[in-house]
Amino acid sequence: MKLPEFNRTLRQLVALPILLLVLMAGFLVWQIVATARAQQQLDHSDQVTSQVEKLQSLFIDQETGLRGFQLTGDQVMLAPWEAAAGPIQVQFATLHGLLAADPQQSATLRDLEDRYNRWLQFARGVLAKDPKLIADPHVNQRGKQMMDGIRATAGLLQAREANMRQAQYRRAQALQGRELVSLLLSALLVGVVLALFTRHHVKTISVSYVRTIDEITGQSEALFESQQWFQTTLESIGDAVIACDIHGSVSFMNAVAENLTGWKLADAKGHPLEAVFRIVSEDTRQPAENPVEKVRRLRQVIGLANHTALLARDGREFIIDDSAAPILSGAGEMIGVVLVFRDVTEERRMESALVASEKLAVAGRLAASIAHEIHNPLDSVANLHYLLGLENDLEKRAEYLRLAQQELGRTMQISRTMLSLYREPRAPISLNLRELIEGVLLLLDRRMKHLGIQLEAQLSEPLVVEGFPAELRQVFTNLISNAIDAAGPKGRIRIRMEHAEAEELHGAGAIVEITDNGVGIPTDLLPKLFQPFFTTKGATGTGLGLWVSMGIVQKHGGAIKIGNSSEPGLPGASIRVFLPARTLAQSVEKAGC
Amino acid sequence: MSAATILCIDDEALGLRIRKTVLEHAGYRVLTAEDGPTGLTLFRGHAIDGVVLDYFMPEMDGGAVAQAMRLERPEIPIMLLSAYINLPAEAVALVDVTLLKGEGPEELLEKLRVMLASGDSVAPGGPR
Repeated sequence: MKLPEFNRTLRQLVALPILLLVLMAGFLVWQIVATARAQQQLDHSDQVTSQVEKLQSLFIDQETGLRGFQLTGDQVMLAPWEAAAGPIQVQFATLHGLLAADPQQSATLRDLEDRYNRWLQFARGVLAKDPKLIADPHVNQRGKQMMDGIRATAGLLQAREANMRQAQYRRAQALQGRELVSLLLSALLVGVVLALFTRHHVKTISVSYVRTIDEITGQSEALFESQQWFQTTLESIGDAVIACDIHGSVSFMNAVAENLTGWKLADAKGHPLEAVFRIVSEDTRQPAENPVEKVRRLRQVIGLANHTALLARDGREFIIDDSAAPILSGAGEMIGVVLVFRDVTEERRMESALVASEKLAVAGRLAASIAHEIHNPLDSVANLHYLLGLENDLEKRAEYLRLAQQELGRTMQISRTMLSLYREPRAPISLNLRELIEGVLLLLDRRMKHLGIQLEAQLSEPLVVEGFPAELRQVFTNLISNAIDAAGPKGRIRIRMEHAEAEELHGAGAIVEITDNGVGIPTDLLPKLFQPFFTTKGATGTGLGLWVSMGIVQKHGGAIKIGNSSEPGLPGASIRVFLPARTLAQSVEKAGC
Repeated sequence: MSAATILCIDDEALGLRIRKTVLEHAGYRVLTAEDGPTGLTLFRGHAIDGVVLDYFMPEMDGGAVAQAMRLERPEIPIMLLSAYINLPAEAVALVDVTLLKGEGPEELLEKLRVMLASGDSVAPGGPR
């Protein structure tokens, strides 16, 4: 039953009894009015009867007065006569008024009045001692006859009124009986109708209520099942999951999250997220931004900053990778935040190990080339020292010493270059990119000469960028070595450096482009180049060079793009490295590497 | 008995000049070349008793030069000099002796003497 339908039923349940009772009351009023009217008629008849009786008693008073005067001739005897004359006239007027609506009784009343008037005339003759009357021996007889006629007429009037009253009384009785029956019947009827009507509607409501209860029970069972399903699913997820309400209080955690945070759901429930999910920057140990706040601010899925460490309740520490997302209601309103994170400590350790091993490989290659650079002048110095021991000619000795000095100078220069490779500042510094690349080229020079590679270095602009010089040197050593390998014997390499204007996606900086004339890179391999352990060099490559280089450049806020050149003279791979003038890289603890 | 003739090949001009002086002081006749092709020309045009060859040279490395020499006159002993520790095995297999640059002139002269002595009928030169 829908709500409007229910309301309509309720209105009917109130309105119908009121309507029925009003109808019943109207009917009863009608009955009562009819009974009252019958009663009035009864009263009318009683009034007429009593008036006629009063009139007759007045007639007797006059007749008695007349007799007494006749017998005694005393004027005093006439007092009742005089007293009755006025009231009789009033009585007649009253009776005329009462009987005006009844023609028959009216006619009888007029007859009565006529008879009285005639008697009155006769009586006045007697009183005036009319000679004709005094002489009449039957005068008393005549008077009596006249009075008898009056009495008979009055009796008729009374008898008729009594009959009428009788009839009216019976009618009133009948009306009263009918009224009672009507009252009982209508009460019974209203009762039955109300009972039936109410029963019908209550039954409808009850059926609908039972159905609604069933539906709600069914729905809540389905809801419970689906909730169980979601709960089990969340609990089974291999990643840690924490859900918070909009105020940032923990409302759910799965087993993985319990393990990583060291909190049980029962303990954590209702606690603010930052108490349960304590995260700090791995490098600076400063508390990391509360992801709930960030999601609330941005209203979108966010990832954590790199190198975030989770501090568990029991003192353990994990490096985590995570994301946080708003929980939206059906209406699109944000009602909470869900965090998904996982322990990447082992992964990070592996990555660090890989980075370190690539560093070692690079260092090994550099060491070989440095050894070569140093052994040549050292060999000369040793030879010159040997010759000095044999030579007595002063001029020749001076020449040998000069040469030895020159070769020692070369050795020291190489050693200084090597030292600068390993002296790494803790914070990024401003560095001249041209000098940095020239240093790298110096170290690779012999190898390029050995292979007869023709190098075209367009490094005219002295561009300054911020960064860690040793890391950037590692990047360019790696990229130029790759170009040397790709170009092969008697190949060509071009290194170009240019200023990059600030654009929408990055600030101003420098672009270094390294192009070779090798065979280029097959398009299907392009996406794999930056994956660890991917190499095109077989057993001689670690497969880590580009991966590490990309990591370093990204740390500096730059980017590496690899494509194939379309220039006729240089058809091979073309690598563009963008480095921003202001680096994103921060000071770091040089621990663990 | 005439002094043995040594052919020295190295792209490091200064080092080559000094090495020549050391060998001449030891009594050898010394021919020098600053790259592989020039060295091969001298190798073909002169009576050579031994070769002191640098490995790491542009265009034609010591391995390639030694291979060419072995094809023409395999009996002539070759010493492969290098500033580089990890010489390719195939290059090492081609030559009689290897010497790391910087080991010093005494080592150079001793190894050269031994190499020439075990080599053939040509009398080893040298002052001692």
